[in-house]
Amino acid sequence: MRTTLKLSLWFALPVSTAILIGIPALSDPLPPDLTYRPLPTMPFSDAKSIDEAQKRAVMERQQAMLRQRYDLADKPIDGTMMSGGRKPVQGGVRVKLPEGTTWEDLSNLTPTEIRDRNLLPSGFKPLPHVKQSAGGQVFPQAQIDAIARLEQRDLRRFDVDFDLPDHLTPEFPPPIFLTTHPELGDVSRGEVLSIRNFYEIMNGLITPVQMEGLRLLLTPFPQEEFNQTEDRKVAQQSLGVACLDCHANFHTNAAFHQTPDVRPQSARFRLDTTSLRGVFNQQIHGSKRSLRSVEDFTQFEQRTAYFNGDHVSATRKGANLPDRTNQVAMMAQMQNIIDLPPAPKLDPFGRLDPALATEQELAGEKVFMGKGRCADCHVPQTNFMDNNMHDLKLERFYRIGEVTNDFVALPDGPIKTFTLRGIKDSPPYLHDGRLLTLADTVEFFNLVLGVKLDQKEKDDLVAYLLAL
Amino acid sequence: MRNILTLAILAASVSGAWAQIGNPAFMGADTRMQKPGDPAPNQTNNSDRVFARLVAAGGAAEVDFAHMSADRASAESVKNFAQRMVKDHDAANHELAQLADTAKIPLPEGLLPDQEAMKAKLNDLQGHDYDVAYMAGQITDHQRTAHLLEWEITGGEDANLQQFAMKTLPIVLEHLQLAQKIHAELTDASGGIR
Ligand code: HEC
Ligand code: HEC
Repeated sequence: MRTTLKLSLWFALPVSTAILIGIPALSDPLPPDLTYRPLPTMPFSDAKSIDEAQKRAVMERQQAMLRQRYDLADKPIDGTMMSGGRKPVQGGVRVKLPEGTTWEDLSNLTPTEIRDRNLLPSGFKPLPHVKQSAGGQVFPQAQIDAIARLEQRDLRRFDVDFDLPDHLTPEFPPPIFLTTHPELGDVSRGEVLSIRNFYEIMNGLITPVQMEGLRLLLTPFPQEEFNQTEDRKVAQQSLGVACLDCHANFHTNAAFHQTPDVRPQSARFRLDTTSLRGVFNQQIHGSKRSLRSVEDFTQFEQRTAYFNGDHVSATRKGANLPDRTNQVAMMAQMQNIIDLPPAPKLDPFGRLDPALATEQELAGEKVFMGKGRCADCHVPQTNFMDNNMHDLKLERFYRIGEVTNDFVALPDGPIKTFTLRGIKDSPPYLHDGRLLTLADTVEFFNLVLGVKLDQKEKDDLVAYLLAL
Repeated sequence: MRNILTLAILAASVSGAWAQIGNPAFMGADTRMQKPGDPAPNQTNNSDRVFARLVAAGGAAEVDFAHMSADRASAESVKNFAQRMVKDHDAANHELAQLADTAKIPLPEGLLPDQEAMKAKLNDLQGHDYDVAYMAGQITDHQRTAHLLEWEITGGEDANLQQFAMKTLPIVLEHLQLAQKIHAELTDASGGIR
């Protein structure tokens, strides 16, 4: 004690002198609401009626932006369904090219040329949230309907709707595969797990610990837009949101949000819900935070108002602080038994079995491992990840700081490598869902990595990704 | 150089073609609206006013420091940078002053205390040391300005000021990158250069 005290006095001295000298040079800090969420100033009922009146304009603005960026048509790939057999996989490149260019033209230009001539397809740029100024979580209609039916809980926002067409999102309800019961295949019974039905569906399949974890993952807690205060975007005082409202059946329903990790508000990028399938193999969690365990992630999400990175605001709305050993561990253990969908053509090394794969898939694997350089980061043996974050430096190709629908496009910075196992089940792609099909991702990486694939190689690569 | 700038302003205003939409919960209860959620022209909130004042003060200081540096800087790159600051910021300051006038926002006069301190510091320096200190100050100033512009885009209510923020932001980020590059060259560091 004595030494610590002495030591700290010793250190305190020069520090405080420095502060004294520093004072005249200190500027005012920037205004507080660059970082902190202000309290609402408009009475709730007024804000609500304004939001409702404005909703159409908000959605039209978003749709105009989406139509300008993408071909949103319903064009499924013949005979290719998602793992549960409930929804076809969409095909074709959907990102629109700037007038008068081809993908080949683009791949022959340098990043600087593309930037200076403003030729990067805008669908490759960061995708804005439907309403940047309000942000927050937005659920697809299918999830809203399911939870209304099962729990009479309202997940509908009065200020915005979900923006992508239904055929461009994952199948719903998604199948559930358990690492503990591979022989059973999908155990979801075609239902959406909810606090009203989970026990009946899972009893006999999982342990008491897992069951308790599941119960907690399905229990709604108030957070930023769904809570009981006037700072909400749901009509009635709300019980809140459950983990599996976004990670429907431990997969994703494409519900989206904004990154918790960035301020100010206009710079917060969109986040597409990740699947929890195969989370047992991941060493880092979250596109930016790199949390080191499912436990940390689970505990933290509830503490900070689910994806707002804001413990201050969460505290006002009713934070939930799950007990690390008695609750968090169980929630984590439940998540950790969620398996990836079966990939019958892969061998134990994650490589195609030539006896089962088609010629085109095998050709695609060759591109993936070789010229395309995909396997530099998506390593087959480690679940098509490398448990690293990478900076793809997309801003080499476009001028940063441009504003679309109140959202400032800034460099993405390092983002973690996502798994490609079961990838056909989880459109849209990239952390913000800016790419709609696997063919889009191939064009994207072809350009960003500068690997100059020809059309056949691109097609082969897509066929391969579908087999994962 | 001039051409690039005009082009850039054009591109920025095109991409901002869709009007901005705020969060009404954070608007004043007495906000006059032309449509629901769409504040009447020149209607300001506290963010607009703080924004206009801080950015105007920053812009004026930019020009002040740049004039000083045109004389006192030694490296050619720093002199050129200072010239560009005079040119770009003069135009932007002028536009902001007009917008603030229309919105009846009084702007501060003279330098803010931290800018005074910076000026005093620069006054004591010469040659290479001056160049490095000026460029380091420019990096911080442009970082702060970029954040204020980003803040205004979703935090403000006056559409004119928000448009101003949108079209100015890419230019400020360009200045920032340029300042980082020059600073890195002067100090043999590569910090901040992407
Ligand atoms: C608003 C929808 C939403 C809700 C509610 C939600 N999540 Fe998530 N979840 C996401 C998104 C989006 C990500 C990606 C986060 C990122 O990239 O930083 C994610 C990521 C994760 C990850 C990391 C997965 C990975 O691959 O890195 C885990 C684990 C997770 N969530 C668990 C939970 C738990 C546990 C809860 C409840 C406490 C929860 N989530 C609630 C949307 C949601
Ligand atoms: C330098 C490492 C790296 C290389 C090489 C790479 N990727 Fe990726 N991949 C990433 C990262 C990082 C992400 C996440 C990026 C993001 O969300 O912004 C990603 C995301 C993806 C996704 C979307 C995953 C999802 O769940 O949304 C697909 C598909 C993909 N990559 C395919 C490919 C293909 C095909 C190639 C080869 C042509 C490739 N990648 C090469 C690092 C890499």
